[in-house]
Amino acid sequence: MPTSSAERTGGGGSALATRGLVAGYGDVVVVHGVDLDVAEGRLVTVVGPNGAGKSTLLKAILGLSRVMDGHVVLDGDDVTGQPLELLARRGIGYVPQVDDVFETLRVSENLEMGGYLLDKSERAARVDEVLEIFPALKPKMRRYLGTMSGGERKMTAVARALMLAPRVLVLDEPTAGLSPALTRVVLEEQARALASHGKAVLLVEQKAHAALEISDWAYVLVRGAVAKSAPAREVLADPDMAEIFLGAAVRDGGVK
Amino acid sequence: MKLLIEAIGFGIATGAVIALGAVGFSVQFGISNVLNITYGSMMTLAAFVGYAFLQLNVNVWIVMAITSAVIGVASVVFNRILLEPLKRRGTSFVGIIIATVSAAIVLQYAIVVFVGATAHSFGEQSGRTLTVLDLVFTTSQVIIICTTVALMVGFHLLLTRTKIGRAMRATSTNRTVARACGIRTERIIDFTWLLSGAMCGAAGVALAITTVSFDFTLGSTFLIYMIAAAVLGGIGQPYGAMVGGLVVGIASQVAGAYWSPAYQDVIAFVILIIMLLVRPRGLFSAGAVTRRLANT
Ligand SMILES: Nc1ncnc2c1ncn2[C@@H]1O[C@H](COP(=O)(O)OP(=O)(O)OP(=O)(O)O)[C@@H](O)[C@H]1O
Ligand SMILES: [Mg+2]
Repeated sequence: MPTSSAERTGGGGSALATRGLVAGYGDVVVVHGVDLDVAEGRLVTVVGPNGAGKSTLLKAILGLSRVMDGHVVLDGDDVTGQPLELLARRGIGYVPQVDDVFETLRVSENLEMGGYLLDKSERAARVDEVLEIFPALKPKMRRYLGTMSGGERKMTAVARALMLAPRVLVLDEPTAGLSPALTRVVLEEQARALASHGKAVLLVEQKAHAALEISDWAYVLVRGAVAKSAPAREVLADPDMAEIFLGAAVRDGGVK
Repeated sequence: MKLLIEAIGFGIATGAVIALGAVGFSVQFGISNVLNITYGSMMTLAAFVGYAFLQLNVNVWIVMAITSAVIGVASVVFNRILLEPLKRRGTSFVGIIIATVSAAIVLQYAIVVFVGATAHSFGEQSGRTLTVLDLVFTTSQVIIICTTVALMVGFHLLLTRTKIGRAMRATSTNRTVARACGIRTERIIDFTWLLSGAMCGAAGVALAITTVSFDFTLGSTFLIYMIAAAVLGGIGQPYGAMVGGLVVGIASQVAGAYWSPAYQDVIAFVILIIMLLVRPRGLFSAGAVTRRLANT
Protein backbone atom coordinates (compact mmCIF):
# COMPACT_ATOMS: atom_id res chain seq x y z
CA MET A 1 0.00 0.00 0.00
CA PRO A 2 1.02 3.65 -0.35
CA THR A 3 3.98 4.77 1.71
CA SER A 4 1.85 7.43 3.31
CA SER A 5 0.15 4.77 5.39
CA ALA A 6 3.42 3.68 6.90
CA GLU A 7 4.29 7.27 7.71
CA ARG A 8 0.95 8.07 9.15
CA THR A 9 0.77 5.10 11.45
CA GLY A 10 4.48 5.10 12.14
CA GLY A 11 4.59 1.37 11.45
CA GLY A 12 5.97 -0.80 8.69
CA GLY A 13 3.02 -0.70 6.26
CA SER A 14 -0.62 -1.30 6.96
CA ALA A 15 -1.92 -4.62 8.13
CA LEU A 16 -5.40 -3.26 7.62
CA ALA A 17 -6.42 -0.27 5.54
CA THR A 18 -9.42 1.27 3.86
CA ARG A 19 -9.31 3.50 0.81
CA GLY A 20 -12.19 5.79 -0.07
CA LEU A 21 -14.59 3.48 1.68
CA VAL A 22 -18.25 4.34 1.08
CA ALA A 23 -20.68 2.12 2.93
CA GLY A 24 -24.15 1.89 4.39
CA TYR A 25 -27.35 -0.15 4.37
CA GLY A 26 -29.58 -0.62 1.34
CA ASP A 27 -29.49 2.73 -0.44
CA VAL A 28 -28.56 4.72 2.65
CA VAL A 29 -24.97 5.92 2.66
CA VAL A 30 -23.56 6.17 6.19
CA VAL A 31 -19.80 6.18 5.66
CA HIS A 32 -18.55 8.72 3.12
CA GLY A 33 -15.15 7.83 1.71
CA VAL A 34 -12.98 6.89 4.65
CA ASP A 35 -9.21 6.31 4.43
CA LEU A 36 -7.86 4.48 7.42
CA ASP A 37 -4.65 2.63 8.25
CA VAL A 38 -3.71 0.27 11.01
CA ALA A 39 -0.15 -1.01 11.02
CA GLU A 40 1.15 -4.03 12.85
CA GLY A 41 1.99 -3.20 16.40
CA ARG A 42 -0.25 -0.16 16.43
CA LEU A 43 -3.39 0.67 18.33
CA VAL A 44 -5.66 2.90 16.29
CA THR A 45 -8.84 4.31 17.76
CA VAL A 46 -11.89 5.69 16.03
CA VAL A 47 -13.88 8.13 18.11
CA GLY A 48 -16.93 10.18 17.28
CA PRO A 49 -20.45 10.97 18.39
CA ASN A 50 -23.27 8.42 18.50
CA GLY A 51 -24.55 7.63 15.05
CA ALA A 52 -21.41 8.94 13.33
CA GLY A 53 -21.03 5.65 11.49
CA LYS A 54 -18.23 4.06 13.52
CA SER A 55 -19.88 0.66 13.75
CA THR A 56 -20.92 0.84 10.11
CA LEU A 57 -17.31 1.51 9.14
CA LEU A 58 -16.15 -1.56 11.05
CA LYS A 59 -18.96 -3.63 9.57
CA ALA A 60 -17.97 -2.51 6.09
CA ILE A 61 -14.42 -3.73 6.76
CA LEU A 62 -15.84 -7.08 7.86
CA GLY A 63 -18.23 -7.49 4.95
CA LEU A 64 -21.27 -6.95 7.18
CA SER A 65 -22.56 -3.65 5.84
CA ARG A 66 -22.88 -2.75 2.19
CA VAL A 67 -19.74 -1.36 0.57
CA MET A 68 -20.74 0.97 -2.25
CA ASP A 69 -17.30 2.18 -3.21
CA GLY A 70 -13.67 2.02 -2.15
CA HIS A 71 -11.54 -0.81 -0.85
CA VAL A 72 -10.61 -2.77 2.22
CA VAL A 73 -7.01 -3.97 2.19
CA LEU A 74 -5.63 -6.71 4.43
CA ASP A 75 -1.88 -7.37 4.34
CA GLY A 76 -1.72 -5.74 0.93
CA ASP A 77 -4.58 -7.82 -0.55
CA ASP A 78 -7.89 -6.36 -1.57
CA VAL A 79 -10.49 -8.11 0.59
CA THR A 80 -13.41 -5.77 -0.06
CA GLY A 81 -16.71 -7.49 0.62
CA GLN A 82 -15.10 -10.81 1.48
CA PRO A 83 -17.23 -12.92 3.79
CA LEU A 84 -16.45 -12.60 7.47
CA GLU A 85 -15.61 -16.28 7.92
CA LEU A 86 -12.83 -15.98 5.35
CA LEU A 87 -11.51 -12.82 6.98
CA ALA A 88 -11.52 -14.67 10.30
CA ARG A 89 -9.51 -17.46 8.70
CA ARG A 90 -7.08 -14.84 7.42
CA GLY A 91 -6.46 -13.55 10.91
CA ILE A 92 -9.00 -10.84 11.67
CA GLY A 93 -10.70 -11.02 15.04
CA TYR A 94 -13.94 -9.10 15.53
CA VAL A 95 -16.06 -8.21 18.54
CA PRO A 96 -19.33 -6.54 17.53
CA GLN A 97 -20.83 -3.74 19.59
CA VAL A 98 -24.03 -5.69 20.32
CA ASP A 99 -24.99 -9.39 20.05
CA ASP A 100 -21.39 -10.24 20.68
CA VAL A 101 -21.74 -13.67 22.34
CA PHE A 102 -23.53 -17.00 21.91
CA GLU A 103 -26.37 -16.44 24.38
CA THR A 104 -27.56 -20.03 24.62
CA LEU A 105 -24.09 -21.48 25.06
CA ARG A 106 -21.92 -21.72 28.16
CA VAL A 107 -18.84 -19.55 28.65
CA SER A 108 -16.71 -22.63 27.98
CA GLU A 109 -18.59 -23.33 24.76
CA ASN A 110 -18.26 -19.71 23.66
CA LEU A 111 -14.52 -20.02 24.03
CA GLU A 112 -14.51 -23.38 22.28
CA MET A 113 -16.40 -21.85 19.38
CA GLY A 114 -13.89 -19.03 19.32
CA GLY A 115 -11.25 -21.70 18.79
CA TYR A 116 -13.30 -23.55 16.20
CA LEU A 117 -10.46 -23.52 13.70
CA LEU A 118 -7.94 -24.93 16.18
CA ASP A 119 -7.48 -28.61 16.85
CA LYS A 120 -8.54 -30.02 20.17
CA SER A 121 -5.27 -29.84 22.13
CA GLU A 122 -4.42 -26.39 20.77
CA ARG A 123 -7.86 -25.22 21.73
CA ALA A 124 -7.61 -26.43 25.31
CA ALA A 125 -4.21 -24.78 25.71
CA ARG A 126 -5.52 -21.55 24.24
CA VAL A 127 -8.53 -21.52 26.58
CA ASP A 128 -6.10 -21.63 29.50
CA GLU A 129 -4.09 -18.74 28.07
CA VAL A 130 -7.17 -16.63 27.47
CA LEU A 131 -8.43 -17.36 30.99
CA GLU A 132 -5.16 -16.01 32.37
CA ILE A 133 -6.16 -12.70 30.80
CA PHE A 134 -9.70 -12.81 32.21
CA PRO A 135 -9.37 -14.78 35.46
CA ALA A 136 -12.84 -13.55 36.47
CA LEU A 137 -14.29 -15.93 33.90
CA LYS A 138 -12.66 -18.99 35.41
CA PRO A 139 -15.30 -19.76 38.03
CA LYS A 140 -18.07 -19.04 35.52
CA MET A 141 -17.07 -21.41 32.76
CA ARG A 142 -20.23 -23.48 33.02
CA ARG A 143 -22.64 -20.54 33.11
CA TYR A 144 -24.87 -19.70 30.17
CA LEU A 145 -24.21 -16.30 28.63
CA GLY A 146 -27.92 -15.53 28.74
CA THR A 147 -27.67 -15.45 32.54
CA MET A 148 -24.59 -13.24 32.84
CA SER A 149 -24.01 -9.54 33.46
CA GLY A 150 -23.14 -7.06 30.74
CA GLY A 151 -19.52 -6.88 31.84
CA GLU A 152 -19.15 -10.64 32.02
CA ARG A 153 -20.58 -10.92 28.55
CA LYS A 154 -18.12 -8.38 27.17
CA MET A 155 -15.24 -10.24 28.77
CA THR A 156 -16.45 -13.45 27.20
CA ALA A 157 -16.84 -11.74 23.85
CA VAL A 158 -13.31 -10.37 23.88
CA ALA A 159 -11.92 -13.64 25.21
CA ARG A 160 -13.70 -15.51 22.42
CA ALA A 161 -12.16 -13.22 19.81
CA LEU A 162 -8.71 -13.80 21.28
CA MET A 163 -9.02 -17.57 20.95
CA LEU A 164 -7.69 -17.58 17.39
CA ALA A 165 -4.84 -15.22 18.34
CA PRO A 166 -5.80 -12.88 15.50
CA ARG A 167 -3.13 -10.68 13.90
CA VAL A 168 -5.65 -7.92 13.33
CA LEU A 169 -8.20 -7.20 16.01
CA VAL A 170 -11.31 -5.11 15.39
CA LEU A 171 -13.11 -4.13 18.58
CA ASP A 172 -16.39 -2.20 18.63
CA GLU A 173 -16.71 -0.62 22.07
CA PRO A 174 -15.22 -3.54 23.97
CA THR A 175 -15.50 -1.69 27.28
CA ALA A 176 -19.20 -0.89 27.12
CA GLY A 177 -20.72 -1.85 30.44
CA LEU A 178 -17.40 -2.65 32.06
CA SER A 179 -16.37 -1.21 35.40
CA PRO A 180 -13.57 1.38 35.40
CA ALA A 181 -11.17 -1.30 36.60
CA LEU A 182 -12.12 -3.74 33.85
CA THR A 183 -12.13 -0.95 31.29
CA ARG A 184 -8.52 -0.38 32.21
CA VAL A 185 -7.79 -4.07 31.94
CA VAL A 186 -9.33 -4.28 28.48
CA LEU A 187 -7.78 -1.09 27.18
CA GLU A 188 -4.35 -1.15 28.75
CA GLU A 189 -3.64 -4.77 29.45
CA GLN A 190 -5.50 -6.01 26.39
CA ALA A 191 -5.76 -3.62 23.48
CA ARG A 192 -2.48 -1.87 24.29
CA ALA A 193 -0.64 -5.05 25.17
CA LEU A 194 -1.82 -6.81 22.02
CA ALA A 195 -0.59 -3.93 19.90
CA SER A 196 2.72 -3.97 21.72
CA HIS A 197 2.96 -7.65 20.88
CA GLY A 198 2.78 -6.82 17.22
CA LYS A 199 -0.93 -7.06 16.51
CA ALA A 200 -2.80 -4.43 14.59
CA VAL A 201 -5.67 -3.23 16.76
CA LEU A 202 -8.57 -1.13 15.50
CA LEU A 203 -10.69 0.15 18.33
CA VAL A 204 -13.94 2.07 18.46
CA GLU A 205 -14.54 3.66 21.84
CA GLN A 206 -17.07 5.91 23.52
CA LYS A 207 -14.69 6.33 26.43
CA ALA A 208 -12.65 8.61 24.18
CA HIS A 209 -10.31 9.95 26.82
CA ALA A 210 -9.29 6.59 28.22
CA ALA A 211 -8.92 5.13 24.74
CA LEU A 212 -6.91 7.99 23.28
CA GLU A 213 -4.47 7.93 26.19
CA ILE A 214 -3.26 4.50 25.18
CA SER A 215 -3.65 4.80 21.40
CA ASP A 216 -1.01 5.51 18.78
CA TRP A 217 -3.28 7.14 16.27
CA ALA A 218 -6.82 8.51 16.29
CA TYR A 219 -9.49 9.13 13.73
CA VAL A 220 -12.36 11.39 14.60
CA LEU A 221 -15.41 10.37 12.63
CA VAL A 222 -18.21 12.90 12.29
CA ARG A 223 -21.26 12.15 10.19
CA GLY A 224 -19.55 9.39 8.29
CA ALA A 225 -16.41 11.32 7.35
CA VAL A 226 -12.98 11.64 8.95
CA ALA A 227 -12.93 15.06 10.64
CA LYS A 228 -9.45 14.57 12.00
CA SER A 229 -6.68 12.02 11.65
CA ALA A 230 -3.74 12.58 13.96
CA PRO A 231 -1.56 11.03 16.65
CA ALA A 232 -3.80 10.22 19.58
CA ARG A 233 -1.86 12.58 21.87
CA GLU A 234 -2.64 15.49 19.59
CA VAL A 235 -6.32 14.71 19.42
CA LEU A 236 -6.38 14.38 23.18
CA ALA A 237 -4.73 17.79 23.60
CA ASP A 238 -6.83 19.53 20.94
CA PRO A 239 -9.14 22.01 22.67
CA ASP A 240 -11.53 21.87 19.68
CA MET A 241 -12.08 18.18 20.11
CA ALA A 242 -14.52 18.26 22.98
CA GLU A 243 -16.49 20.87 21.12
CA ILE A 244 -16.56 18.92 17.84
CA PHE A 245 -17.53 15.86 19.76
CA LEU A 246 -20.34 17.31 21.77
CA GLY A 247 -21.40 19.77 19.10
CA ALA A 248 -21.84 17.05 16.52
CA ALA A 249 -23.45 14.76 19.02
CA VAL A 250 -26.01 17.36 19.98
CA ARG A 251 -26.73 18.17 16.35
CA ASP A 252 -27.27 14.48 15.59
CA GLY A 253 -29.40 14.13 18.68
CA GLY A 254 -27.07 11.37 19.77
CA VAL A 255 -26.17 12.36 23.31
CA LYS A 256 -27.14 9.65 25.74
CA MET B 1 -59.83 -51.22 28.95
CA LYS B 2 -59.13 -53.16 25.80
CA LEU B 3 -60.14 -50.10 23.84
CA LEU B 4 -57.70 -47.99 25.80
CA ILE B 5 -54.81 -50.42 25.32
CA GLU B 6 -55.53 -50.60 21.62
CA ALA B 7 -55.67 -46.84 21.37
CA ILE B 8 -52.37 -46.52 23.22
CA GLY B 9 -50.76 -49.04 20.87
CA PHE B 10 -51.99 -47.07 17.87
CA GLY B 11 -50.95 -43.90 19.63
CA ILE B 12 -47.38 -45.08 20.09
CA ALA B 13 -47.15 -46.08 16.43
CA THR B 14 -48.70 -42.81 15.27
CA GLY B 15 -46.60 -40.95 17.79
CA ALA B 16 -43.43 -42.45 16.34
CA VAL B 17 -44.30 -41.10 12.89
CA ILE B 18 -45.24 -37.73 14.36
CA ALA B 19 -41.99 -37.71 16.33
CA LEU B 20 -39.96 -38.59 13.25
CA GLY B 21 -41.46 -35.65 11.39
CA ALA B 22 -41.40 -33.36 14.42
CA VAL B 23 -37.69 -33.87 15.05
CA GLY B 24 -36.81 -32.68 11.57
CA PHE B 25 -39.26 -29.80 11.79
CA SER B 26 -38.07 -28.82 15.23
CA VAL B 27 -34.37 -28.92 14.42
CA GLN B 28 -34.94 -27.04 11.17
CA PHE B 29 -36.77 -24.32 13.05
CA GLY B 30 -34.37 -24.36 15.98
CA ILE B 31 -31.17 -24.10 13.95
CA SER B 32 -32.12 -22.11 10.87
CA ASN B 33 -34.77 -19.99 12.61
CA VAL B 34 -37.29 -20.62 9.84
CA LEU B 35 -40.78 -21.85 10.66
CA ASN B 36 -41.09 -23.90 7.50
CA ILE B 37 -44.71 -24.64 6.64
CA THR B 38 -43.58 -26.24 3.36
CA TYR B 39 -42.43 -29.15 5.52
CA GLY B 40 -45.88 -30.74 5.25
CA SER B 41 -45.93 -30.61 1.46
CA MET B 42 -42.38 -31.95 1.40
CA MET B 43 -43.69 -34.97 3.30
CA THR B 44 -46.38 -35.42 0.67
CA LEU B 45 -43.71 -35.18 -2.00
CA ALA B 46 -41.77 -37.86 -0.11
CA ALA B 47 -44.79 -40.15 -0.09
CA PHE B 48 -45.17 -39.86 -3.86
CA VAL B 49 -41.45 -40.15 -4.57
CA GLY B 50 -41.53 -43.27 -2.39
CA TYR B 51 -44.58 -44.51 -4.25
CA ALA B 52 -42.73 -44.11 -7.56
CA PHE B 53 -39.77 -46.14 -6.30
CA LEU B 54 -42.12 -48.77 -4.90
CA GLN B 55 -43.53 -49.28 -8.39
CA LEU B 56 -40.01 -50.33 -9.43
CA ASN B 57 -40.26 -53.17 -6.94
CA VAL B 58 -37.72 -51.69 -4.56
CA ASN B 59 -37.93 -52.92 -0.96
CA VAL B 60 -40.00 -50.47 1.08
CA TRP B 61 -37.24 -49.74 3.63
CA ILE B 62 -34.75 -49.04 0.88
CA VAL B 63 -37.39 -46.79 -0.64
CA MET B 64 -37.51 -44.94 2.66
CA ALA B 65 -33.74 -44.45 2.69
CA ILE B 66 -33.56 -43.27 -0.92
CA THR B 67 -36.52 -40.92 -0.45
CA SER B 68 -34.88 -39.48 2.66
CA ALA B 69 -31.84 -38.57 0.62
CA VAL B 70 -33.93 -37.09 -2.19
CA ILE B 71 -36.01 -34.93 0.16
CA GLY B 72 -32.88 -33.93 2.08
CA VAL B 73 -31.30 -32.56 -1.08
CA ALA B 74 -34.60 -30.99 -2.17
CA SER B 75 -34.78 -29.17 1.17
CA VAL B 76 -31.27 -27.76 0.78
CA VAL B 77 -32.19 -26.50 -2.69
CA PHE B 78 -35.48 -25.08 -1.40
CA ASN B 79 -33.70 -23.16 1.35
CA ARG B 80 -31.02 -21.88 -1.01
CA ILE B 81 -33.24 -20.68 -3.82
CA LEU B 82 -36.11 -19.29 -1.79
CA LEU B 83 -35.39 -18.71 1.88
CA GLU B 84 -31.76 -17.54 1.90
CA PRO B 85 -32.36 -14.90 -0.80
CA LEU B 86 -35.34 -13.64 1.22
CA LYS B 87 -33.23 -13.48 4.37
CA ARG B 88 -30.50 -11.60 2.52
CA ARG B 89 -33.09 -9.04 1.49
CA GLY B 90 -33.94 -8.62 5.14
CA THR B 91 -37.39 -10.23 4.95
CA SER B 92 -38.96 -10.47 8.39
CA PHE B 93 -39.58 -13.70 10.27
CA VAL B 94 -43.29 -13.46 9.47
CA GLY B 95 -42.59 -12.61 5.84
CA ILE B 96 -40.58 -15.79 5.53
CA ILE B 97 -43.35 -17.85 7.14
CA ILE B 98 -45.76 -16.46 4.57
CA ALA B 99 -43.34 -17.40 1.79
CA THR B 100 -43.21 -20.97 3.11
CA VAL B 101 -47.01 -21.11 3.31
CA SER B 102 -47.20 -20.01 -0.33
CA ALA B 103 -44.53 -22.50 -1.34
CA ALA B 104 -46.42 -25.23 0.52
CA ILE B 105 -49.57 -24.54 -1.48
CA VAL B 106 -47.68 -24.33 -4.78
CA LEU B 107 -45.89 -27.61 -4.08
CA GLN B 108 -49.07 -29.35 -2.99
CA TYR B 109 -50.86 -28.43 -6.21
CA ALA B 110 -47.80 -29.15 -8.32
CA ILE B 111 -48.07 -32.66 -6.92
CA VAL B 112 -51.71 -32.78 -8.00
CA VAL B 113 -50.67 -31.83 -11.52
CA PHE B 114 -48.35 -34.81 -11.68
CA VAL B 115 -50.23 -37.52 -9.81
CA GLY B 116 -53.81 -36.26 -9.67
CA ALA B 117 -56.03 -35.97 -6.65
CA THR B 118 -56.81 -39.67 -6.34
CA ALA B 119 -55.91 -41.84 -3.38
CA HIS B 120 -52.72 -43.89 -3.56
CA SER B 121 -51.55 -46.74 -1.39
CA PHE B 122 -48.29 -48.39 -0.47
CA GLY B 123 -50.26 -51.64 -0.26
CA GLU B 124 -49.91 -54.17 2.52
CA GLN B 125 -46.56 -53.44 4.19
CA SER B 126 -47.35 -54.20 7.78
CA GLY B 127 -45.92 -57.73 7.94
CA ARG B 128 -46.39 -60.02 10.96
CA THR B 129 -47.78 -58.70 14.20
CA LEU B 130 -45.93 -58.53 17.47
CA THR B 131 -47.33 -58.27 20.97
CA VAL B 132 -45.57 -56.27 23.66
CA LEU B 133 -47.32 -56.00 27.05
CA ASP B 134 -50.77 -56.43 25.48
CA LEU B 135 -49.96 -53.82 22.86
CA VAL B 136 -50.13 -55.16 19.33
CA PHE B 137 -47.72 -53.78 16.75
CA THR B 138 -47.12 -54.67 13.13
CA THR B 139 -43.55 -55.31 12.03
CA SER B 140 -43.46 -52.10 10.05
CA GLN B 141 -44.65 -50.12 13.07
CA VAL B 142 -41.86 -51.64 15.12
CA ILE B 143 -39.29 -50.75 12.46
CA ILE B 144 -40.61 -47.19 12.33
CA ILE B 145 -40.52 -46.85 16.11
CA CYS B 146 -36.95 -48.14 16.22
CA THR B 147 -35.87 -45.88 13.36
CA THR B 148 -37.39 -42.90 15.13
CA VAL B 149 -35.65 -43.65 18.41
CA ALA B 150 -32.33 -44.27 16.67
CA LEU B 151 -32.51 -41.03 14.68
CA MET B 152 -33.52 -39.12 17.79
CA VAL B 153 -30.57 -40.38 19.79
CA GLY B 154 -28.32 -39.75 16.80
CA PHE B 155 -29.55 -36.18 16.48
CA HIS B 156 -29.09 -35.53 20.16
CA LEU B 157 -25.53 -36.87 20.13
CA LEU B 158 -24.78 -34.91 16.98
CA LEU B 159 -25.93 -31.65 18.53
CA THR B 160 -24.22 -32.14 21.86
CA ARG B 161 -21.13 -34.23 21.25
CA THR B 162 -19.76 -33.25 17.88
CA LYS B 163 -17.95 -30.20 16.64
CA ILE B 164 -20.38 -29.72 13.78
CA GLY B 165 -23.31 -30.05 16.19
CA ARG B 166 -21.92 -27.34 18.42
CA ALA B 167 -21.32 -25.24 15.32
CA MET B 168 -24.99 -25.77 14.42
CA ARG B 169 -26.10 -24.51 17.82
CA ALA B 170 -23.67 -21.60 17.65
CA THR B 171 -24.86 -20.66 14.16
CA SER B 172 -28.45 -20.73 15.25
CA THR B 173 -27.77 -18.49 18.24
CA ASN B 174 -25.62 -15.86 16.55
CA ARG B 175 -24.70 -16.23 12.93
CA THR B 176 -22.44 -13.17 12.81
CA VAL B 177 -20.33 -14.22 15.75
CA ALA B 178 -20.23 -17.77 14.37
CA ARG B 179 -18.79 -16.37 11.17
CA ALA B 180 -16.33 -14.28 13.15
CA CYS B 181 -15.11 -17.59 14.60
CA GLY B 182 -14.36 -18.76 11.07
CA ILE B 183 -17.35 -21.09 10.89
CA ARG B 184 -18.66 -21.44 7.34
CA THR B 185 -22.23 -20.90 8.41
CA GLU B 186 -23.66 -21.41 4.94
CA ARG B 187 -22.42 -24.99 5.00
CA ILE B 188 -23.75 -25.46 8.50
CA ILE B 189 -27.15 -24.23 7.35
CA ASP B 190 -27.02 -26.51 4.29
CA PHE B 191 -26.15 -29.43 6.54
CA THR B 192 -29.06 -28.58 8.84
CA TRP B 193 -31.49 -28.56 5.92
CA LEU B 194 -30.04 -31.78 4.54
CA LEU B 195 -30.54 -33.62 7.82
CA SER B 196 -33.92 -32.15 8.69
CA GLY B 197 -35.07 -32.66 5.11
CA ALA B 198 -34.00 -36.28 5.30
CA MET B 199 -36.07 -36.68 8.48
CA CYS B 200 -38.98 -35.10 6.62
CA GLY B 201 -38.55 -37.59 3.78
CA ALA B 202 -38.37 -40.55 6.15
CA ALA B 203 -41.45 -39.30 7.98
CA GLY B 204 -43.37 -38.88 4.72
CA VAL B 205 -42.68 -42.47 3.70
CA ALA B 206 -43.38 -43.75 7.21
CA LEU B 207 -46.70 -41.95 7.16
CA ALA B 208 -47.58 -43.41 3.77
CA ILE B 209 -46.68 -46.89 5.01
CA THR B 210 -48.85 -46.60 8.11
CA THR B 211 -51.94 -45.07 6.48
CA VAL B 212 -54.35 -47.10 4.41
CA SER B 213 -54.29 -44.65 1.53
CA PHE B 214 -53.08 -41.12 0.95
CA ASP B 215 -53.46 -38.24 -1.47
CA PHE B 216 -51.92 -34.79 -2.03
CA THR B 217 -53.13 -33.53 1.35
CA LEU B 218 -51.20 -36.16 3.31
CA GLY B 219 -48.49 -33.91 4.73
CA SER B 220 -50.45 -30.71 5.13
CA THR B 221 -53.06 -32.36 7.36
CA PHE B 222 -50.28 -34.03 9.35
CA LEU B 223 -48.33 -30.79 9.81
CA ILE B 224 -50.42 -29.63 12.77
CA TYR B 225 -49.53 -32.80 14.70
CA MET B 226 -45.84 -32.20 14.14
CA ILE B 227 -46.05 -28.54 15.09
CA ALA B 228 -47.94 -29.50 18.25
CA ALA B 229 -45.31 -32.12 19.07
CA ALA B 230 -42.42 -29.76 18.37
CA VAL B 231 -43.93 -26.99 20.49
CA LEU B 232 -44.76 -29.46 23.23
CA GLY B 233 -41.19 -30.73 23.32
CA GLY B 234 -39.56 -27.33 22.96
CA ILE B 235 -38.30 -26.11 19.61
CA GLY B 236 -34.93 -27.48 18.58
CA GLN B 237 -34.93 -30.31 21.13
CA PRO B 238 -34.77 -33.79 19.56
CA TYR B 239 -35.82 -35.61 22.73
CA GLY B 240 -38.53 -33.08 23.35
CA ALA B 241 -39.95 -33.72 19.89
CA MET B 242 -39.99 -37.45 20.63
CA VAL B 243 -41.89 -37.02 23.87
CA GLY B 244 -44.12 -34.45 22.18
CA GLY B 245 -44.82 -36.86 19.33
CA LEU B 246 -45.80 -39.64 21.72
CA VAL B 247 -48.06 -37.41 23.78
CA VAL B 248 -49.79 -35.99 20.72
CA GLY B 249 -50.04 -39.42 19.09
CA ILE B 250 -51.51 -41.17 22.11
CA ALA B 251 -53.81 -38.29 23.03
CA SER B 252 -55.25 -38.09 19.53
CA GLN B 253 -55.76 -41.86 19.25
CA VAL B 254 -57.39 -42.08 22.66
CA ALA B 255 -59.66 -39.16 21.77
CA GLY B 256 -60.47 -40.85 18.49
CA ALA B 257 -61.31 -44.16 20.18
CA TYR B 258 -63.46 -42.76 23.01
CA TRP B 259 -65.25 -39.91 21.29
CA SER B 260 -64.97 -39.83 17.56
CA PRO B 261 -62.14 -39.99 15.03
CA ALA B 262 -63.21 -36.49 14.08
CA TYR B 263 -61.70 -35.27 17.37
CA GLN B 264 -58.20 -36.51 16.51
CA ASP B 265 -57.19 -33.28 14.83
CA VAL B 266 -58.95 -31.21 17.45
CA ILE B 267 -56.81 -32.76 20.18
CA ALA B 268 -53.62 -31.70 18.38
CA PHE B 269 -54.90 -28.14 18.19
CA VAL B 270 -56.00 -28.13 21.81
CA ILE B 271 -52.59 -29.39 22.96
CA LEU B 272 -50.90 -26.76 20.82
CA ILE B 273 -52.99 -23.92 22.21
CA ILE B 274 -52.64 -25.04 25.82
CA MET B 275 -48.88 -25.36 25.41
CA LEU B 276 -48.57 -21.92 23.87
CA LEU B 277 -50.53 -20.48 26.78
CA VAL B 278 -48.88 -22.38 29.58
CA ARG B 279 -45.35 -23.15 28.46
CA PRO B 280 -44.55 -21.41 25.21
CA ARG B 281 -41.04 -22.79 25.29
CA GLY B 282 -42.13 -26.37 25.62
CA LEU B 283 -42.32 -28.87 28.44
CA PHE B 284 -38.57 -28.74 28.70
CA SER B 285 -38.20 -25.00 28.88
CA ALA B 286 -35.40 -23.51 26.82
CA GLY B 287 -32.97 -23.03 29.67
CA ALA B 288 -33.53 -26.45 31.09
CA VAL B 289 -33.13 -28.19 27.78
CA THR B 290 -30.23 -26.14 26.54
CA ARG B 291 -28.62 -27.13 29.77
CA ARG B 292 -29.43 -30.76 29.19
CA LEU B 293 -28.33 -30.46 25.59
CA ALA B 294 -25.03 -29.08 26.72
CA ASN B 295 -24.61 -31.60 29.53
CA THR B 296 -22.45 -33.90 27.48
N1 LIG C 1 -28.82 -2.07 10.12
C1 LIG C 1 -29.01 -0.76 9.80
N2 LIG C 1 -29.86 -0.42 8.82
C2 LIG C 1 -30.04 0.87 8.48
N3 LIG C 1 -29.42 1.90 9.08
C3 LIG C 1 -28.56 1.63 10.05
C4 LIG C 1 -28.32 0.29 10.48
N4 LIG C 1 -27.41 0.32 11.48
C5 LIG C 1 -27.12 1.61 11.67
N5 LIG C 1 -27.80 2.41 10.82
C6 LIG C 1 -27.70 3.87 10.73
O1 LIG C 1 -26.38 4.23 10.41
C7 LIG C 1 -25.99 5.37 11.15
C8 LIG C 1 -24.67 5.10 11.83
O2 LIG C 1 -24.83 4.04 12.76
P1 LIG C 1 -23.59 3.37 13.47
O3 LIG C 1 -24.10 2.23 14.26
O4 LIG C 1 -22.53 3.12 12.48
O5 LIG C 1 -23.14 4.56 14.44
P2 LIG C 1 -22.01 4.55 15.57
O6 LIG C 1 -21.08 5.65 15.24
O7 LIG C 1 -21.45 3.21 15.76
O8 LIG C 1 -22.87 4.98 16.84
P3 LIG C 1 -22.75 4.52 18.38
O9 LIG C 1 -21.66 5.32 18.97
O10 LIG C 1 -24.06 4.89 18.95
O11 LIG C 1 -22.49 3.05 18.39
C9 LIG C 1 -27.12 5.69 12.11
O12 LIG C 1 -27.79 6.81 11.60
C10 LIG C 1 -28.01 4.49 12.09
O13 LIG C 1 -29.34 4.87 12.17
MG1 LIG D 1 -21.49 1.82 17.20
